[in-house]
Amino acid sequence: MSLPSKLQEIVDDFASMTREEKVETLVAYSESLPPLPDRLKELRDKMEPVPECMTPVFLHGEKQPDGGIIFYFDIPPQSPTVRGLASLLANGLNGSKPEEILSVPGDFFLPMNLQEAISQQRINGFIGVLAHMKQTAVKLLSNGS
Amino acid sequence: MPYVHPEYLVETEWVAEHLNDPNVRIIESDEDALLYAVGHIPGAVQVDWFSTLQHPLRRDFLTKEQFEEVASNIGITNDTTVVFYGDKSNWFACYALWLFQYYGHENVKIMNGGRLKWEQENRPLTKDVPSYQRTSYKAKDPDKSIRAFRDEVREQSDSKKPLVDVRSPKEYSGELISMPNYPQEGAQRGGHIPGAVSIPWSQAVNEADSTFKTPEELRALYEGKGITPEGEVIAYCRIGERSSHTWFVLKYLLGYPKVKNYDGSWTEWGNLVDAPIEK
Repeated sequence: MSLPSKLQEIVDDFASMTREEKVETLVAYSESLPPLPDRLKELRDKMEPVPECMTPVFLHGEKQPDGGIIFYFDIPPQSPTVRGLASLLANGLNGSKPEEILSVPGDFFLPMNLQEAISQQRINGFIGVLAHMKQTAVKLLSNGS
Repeated sequence: MPYVHPEYLVETEWVAEHLNDPNVRIIESDEDALLYAVGHIPGAVQVDWFSTLQHPLRRDFLTKEQFEEVASNIGITNDTTVVFYGDKSNWFACYALWLFQYYGHENVKIMNGGRLKWEQENRPLTKDVPSYQRTSYKAKDPDKSIRAFRDEVREQSDSKKPLVDVRSPKEYSGELISMPNYPQEGAQRGGHIPGAVSIPWSQAVNEADSTFKTPEELRALYEGKGITPEGEVIAYCRIGERSSHTWFVLKYLLGYPKVKNYDGSWTEWGNLVDAPIEK
């Protein structure tokens, strides 16, 4: 099954970028991640505190009347790589139906050659964010809200 | 009581006053390599622990010749004062400093508090990437007195000499193989090297601004766990970055003459066939 068209565009764009362009684009994605709406802050504050060093990623998904999901993130600016990757996924997947999100292959990003710009550990984080989005999609699929 | 080698540490104020000093090169080295592109200290260059400092094929650092290439490209000479700073309380700044020392660069400093403190003080950051005239840097042969390899770590453990495990408590106990909430990968077994004492790296810094604790506090911390200046100490963590932070504290802030960083760390030890492990 093909990727949602916006995500496919992003993958194609990255595939043709130099390393420097990838870095610049990820920074731009990181900087364009919208702040968390106030109404979700209480929910975020219920997240368990994160020990030592790891990047706390808050993610919330809401189903729209047309069935598409909009994702909201809160990730500290001290972690631009995770912010950038989450913002990239939100740009590529916001508005997609749960079924479309669930059918995104776990290795869809391979043609993007992200390893030119970021370390494997960050790529693992990227896979983690996608997995988290899929879990959210599953929940929204089952409870319909 | 001052630090034993205070010349290895500078404050943000000192860096702010030396931004245009041709004898000073400021290097940013982060865990999150994108931070440099987001904004860095004016005039600073980036040295990434992974894409810049690791050997492209082997699990090792750059060779001496490759290191000379990196140093020449950032325009430093053997006399340049190199100041390192970064995110995560200077983990990778200490790692880069350690590697520069490994190849014999003597005049190195850590900016106390790193990126966090610089940002907290609202000091300038820029996206402009500077370029410096290329030099012909000459590195020295590796200084193996600051780097431990697995066989000597085994001897160290067998002979009950001091080993410091600087990972988080759950990594030491074997409950986790990697840092909490990081992917649990990289080692087949959990636990610690027999005889190692647990002194998490983070106990050496003030949480509020990432600066190092006072000499008195540091001395009490390490001596209280039996890690004393007379000993030949080896520090390790998961991949050698957090332990280079502890290495810096012991070697320069407390002046222990014989301290090594075991960069193979748990991702090597926890995979070694036949290596003893304690839980």
